[in-house]
Amino acid sequence: MTRFVAGRLVQMVAVLFAVSVLTFLIFNVIPNGDPAQRMAGKSPTETQVEAIRADWGFDEPLAVQYVRTMEQVLGGEAISYFTQLNVQQEILAGLPRTLALALGAAILWMVFGIALGVLGALRAGRLSDRLLTFFALAGVSLPVFWLGAILSHFLGYQWGLFPNGGYVPFAESPLDWAYHLVLPCATLAVLFVGFYSRLVRSNVLDTMGEDFVRTARAKGLSERRVLLAHVLRNSLIPVVTLWGLDFGAVVAGGAILTETVFDIQGVGQYAAESVGQLDVPPVLAVTLFGAFFIVALNTVVDIAYALLDPRIRVGGR
Amino acid sequence: MGQSPWRLALRRLRRDRIAVAFGILFAVLALMALAAPLWAEVAGRGPNATNETGQIAADGGAIDVVSLDGVPVGPQWRAEYLLGADANGRDVAVRLLYGARNSLLIGIAAALLTTILATLVGLVAGFYGRWVDAVARSALDVIWAFPVVLLGVALGTALALGGLTVGPIDLAAGSIGISIAVIAVVYVPYMARPIRGEVLALREREFVAAARAQGASGPRTMAGELLPNLAPTVVVLAPLMVANAILLEAALSFLGVGVVPPDPSWGNMIDAGTEKLVTAPHLAIAPGLMLVAAVLALNVFGDGVRDALDRRRGAAWGAERP
Amino acid sequence: MKAKSRYPTALALALSLAALLAAGCGSGSDDDGQASAGKQGGEITIAQGSQPDALDPAIAYTSNSWEPLWLVYTGPLTYERAEGAEGAQLIPGVATDLPEISADGRTYTFTVRDGLEYSDGTPVKAGDFEHAIKRVLNLESGGTYLFEGIEGATEYIEAGESEGDISGIESDDATGEVTIRLTEPDGSFSNVLATSFAGFVPSSTPFENQTESPPPGVGPYAITESVPNRQFVMERVEGFDIPGIPAGNLDTITTEIVKSPARAAQDVIDGELDYMQDPPPTDLAAEIRERHADRYKQWPTLSVNYFFLNQSLPPFDDEQVREAVNVGLDSTAIARLLGGRLSGSCNIVPAGIPGHSERDCPFGDPDGPGDIDRAKQLVEEAGATGEQVTVWANNDATRPEIGQYYTGLLNEIGLDADLRVIDGAIYFDTIGNQKTRAQTGLANWYADFPHPASFLQQVDGTTIQPTANGNYGMVDDPEINDEIAALLPETDLQSVADRWAALDERVIDRSYIAPYGSEELTTFMSDRMDFENCSLVHPLYGNDYSSFCLR
Repeated sequence: MTRFVAGRLVQMVAVLFAVSVLTFLIFNVIPNGDPAQRMAGKSPTETQVEAIRADWGFDEPLAVQYVRTMEQVLGGEAISYFTQLNVQQEILAGLPRTLALALGAAILWMVFGIALGVLGALRAGRLSDRLLTFFALAGVSLPVFWLGAILSHFLGYQWGLFPNGGYVPFAESPLDWAYHLVLPCATLAVLFVGFYSRLVRSNVLDTMGEDFVRTARAKGLSERRVLLAHVLRNSLIPVVTLWGLDFGAVVAGGAILTETVFDIQGVGQYAAESVGQLDVPPVLAVTLFGAFFIVALNTVVDIAYALLDPRIRVGGR
Repeated sequence: MGQSPWRLALRRLRRDRIAVAFGILFAVLALMALAAPLWAEVAGRGPNATNETGQIAADGGAIDVVSLDGVPVGPQWRAEYLLGADANGRDVAVRLLYGARNSLLIGIAAALLTTILATLVGLVAGFYGRWVDAVARSALDVIWAFPVVLLGVALGTALALGGLTVGPIDLAAGSIGISIAVIAVVYVPYMARPIRGEVLALREREFVAAARAQGASGPRTMAGELLPNLAPTVVVLAPLMVANAILLEAALSFLGVGVVPPDPSWGNMIDAGTEKLVTAPHLAIAPGLMLVAAVLALNVFGDGVRDALDRRRGAAWGAERP
Repeated sequence: MKAKSRYPTALALALSLAALLAAGCGSGSDDDGQASAGKQGGEITIAQGSQPDALDPAIAYTSNSWEPLWLVYTGPLTYERAEGAEGAQLIPGVATDLPEISADGRTYTFTVRDGLEYSDGTPVKAGDFEHAIKRVLNLESGGTYLFEGIEGATEYIEAGESEGDISGIESDDATGEVTIRLTEPDGSFSNVLATSFAGFVPSSTPFENQTESPPPGVGPYAITESVPNRQFVMERVEGFDIPGIPAGNLDTITTEIVKSPARAAQDVIDGELDYMQDPPPTDLAAEIRERHADRYKQWPTLSVNYFFLNQSLPPFDDEQVREAVNVGLDSTAIARLLGGRLSGSCNIVPAGIPGHSERDCPFGDPDGPGDIDRAKQLVEEAGATGEQVTVWANNDATRPEIGQYYTGLLNEIGLDADLRVIDGAIYFDTIGNQKTRAQTGLANWYADFPHPASFLQQVDGTTIQPTANGNYGMVDDPEINDEIAALLPETDLQSVADRWAALDERVIDRSYIAPYGSEELTTFMSDRMDFENCSLVHPLYGNDYSSFCLR
């Protein structure tokens, strides 16, 4: 078992290393951006640009630059080429916002996903179930940025039911904090509710199988409730693990579009802006942060499954 | 022996009228996209033809296509400017159809590329196992670990400035080839994993052993025995891959990479439209609805295909995940 | 590049009141053109669309940062707080009077006012001036070129010692006297002394970017809190008293960074925000002009918006093709894309600055339609039909749409154009890098100094450099280069205004650029603020926060 865990951890580090190298290469090899120029600001002279290039080591070989940048990023010292601000600080400042958005949405989609999934399972085959399936599919078919923009405009600006976007820190006003998060969380949740409700529905149906049909007809409602409790417990295990992975994915970068539309200034928006500006240190830092989230959660899930099922340990997923 | 499983599946599918209806809906959208040049003729202007200072006849007089304050005219419900104009005076309906062309083309091409790559990787990894499998899985893990949208934006931005030359393939910056390549790569793990799982399961079956015993080489076994048996998995995943690809293309265009203006795509039309929601909501609503229609049609049809092919499977997780 | 670095300091400005034409400069809503004292006290929250490049006077070099900073840091001199021509007049700031200039024009002497204190109570000393200049030079600031003319400045930079001495600056803390020696006479040096770079800061200020904790300064406001990328807070300084610089009406001004202009505008409409620095988006422009005209105005700026035409590459190496662009251009189309915020013109030197040519536009009325047929003909005659062109634009508000208009125009006149839109943060670096080989695209320039040279610099061949090039068109016309060099040392601008205007005309006659006008900026406030009496627009610094007040 220890060998398995150790193996997984080594794999995790290897993947993160590969991600960092890939990110670094993408931004340094392909475009003809020049960070020295960007840092020099407005109307610099050639000598000024050269001086910055030498100071910051942009004329050194790529491998050397990579090591240096990674050292800075991992040590929390990386600075944005463009704003000169400390990257780690910016990420920490944006993290509570992204987490609030992700957690709020995740709770919403879980609650509604389970509720609608169970409902669909109970009414399997009937019209209401087919309608629910349809709405679930509609949910995953909506582009989140479009939905967010429409909701924000009509519910927010035109009818004044919600704020015009933005984020209020919890410390400033818990009520305003929640108020500003309603639309963004709901928008993000719509995307996942559909998938989760169908997942729950099919898992519940699988678990119950034919016993349910017979027993339910024979015994009546209270039996159904007892069965549901037992059934739910079993069918939700894969759902919960999936929820963890999706939550990680949202924090890692799935929230980018929602954050941009609602101007939440979280990690996702910071990442999107930095990428557009070819600002390598923040991009590296955020990508690693996101990748770490995803890989760590995946590894935890793998280890958990291995603990539960010895057969899986050797063959891999 | 009975009917071939494919024919059985097809019969089941035909009975699922909703799935069929949505399949037809998608086909209709695709046909509309193909007919884009026809509509451009009828409307009297191309998708990129700007007209900021033009005027059209309305209410017995002439009105500005784009007012002096920058407000474009709304849907006219006739041939010219059927769905109104955008900020640069272009015909929205014409752009919608040309945008459909780009979005659908990219979505389908990317899904096709994903399928080819994923099948290759999944087959080879699952069949040969050991270090080949380890390498393949590591590569998949790296792509999987990259936040999808960030990877797309990163590659798109970087390539937008410089273009990409890989051997004989030369993609000019901003060409749709880059969008297709980026989206295809991003979704390879989504498909390669289930395929690899299938191959692992199939590998142990008798017909494979029989083929090996008869002296069939690796590639021949893979092509001859495994590939046909992978077909159901691929067919089930395909519509969902197209749907995902279309959504990702829209997201990338919305963020400024992907299909770049003035060429239209649903994503960049929504991007421009969201900046004019107060004065011209039709600019965002029209492409959004069309996008939703196309993706929904694919999802419902794909659902029906899955039900028809294998009722036991339930929700194949990893398929239509957002 | 010698010519480039000495260029702006050789701006021969002894700006006199009469030198600036009042016409078109500011909207002059006040009787006497001065900031009037309004209701005292109160707090407001305002929005900027992006984090200022720096909140450190030694480094800050954009309108985002100058708008708040000129109220926090004052140099020996400053500008009159008035609209129009009066606002370009120099008045003493930290100094007791305008500087005494020696006969040879190389020595400037001024005395620091007695008993002045920084916002934290520290006494202001004469030696602090040299420290401020040292910070500018040591921190590789964009403002370095303004002070390189001081004796010993270059040596100080080369020595690399932050605590070194600049031989050309001498100060006596006891008497408060500061003497500056230049290597050459420079008529514009008084204006340099009025920039925020010359703002006094205590000698204890470290040689590091102080954006996160801005040093105390001399001014009506002080920055008491700074969280980069989120917000910063300015509070009124009690006891600030320098004649000519109003004390400010509001107690506290909190600036939030609101990246979405639509959200900022909606919040100002709803009263959640009190003012936004950027113009409201076009989408809301009509609504704001109709329903909130009582708290909104737009005003012309000293700027030029144009399309650069790179003449070192085809097809714009051919003058006929360049002319075709000017002939076909319709600035009313662009005005629509800017929501009406454009004053059309066909000049490189904007109206309001001497050297602006008043003649009729050679290629048609700028407020009229373009002549597409004639433009097509010109392109054909030049044999350039079907030539490939890449148009560059950035993704700031309204720029992609303007880029699309321009691309459409080029296609209409017979070229084969496509558009490339890149992030605003890397745009000027990219088109200023000769390796990019940018053929054409969007550009604009706002006056650093109210002088025609500031604008003609963009078509001066001697300023071309391989990276960070500001002459995007690669214009290298010996007649223009020589005439600019000849005109720069002239101290009496009015007497040579017609020669500058001749240059303006030559640039347009040869179609070295394709201008379409100057963009207008805005003042938009919430209901709480007293728009009528308390909104001063300064010609160089934009909206003056010290004039803001509540109803």
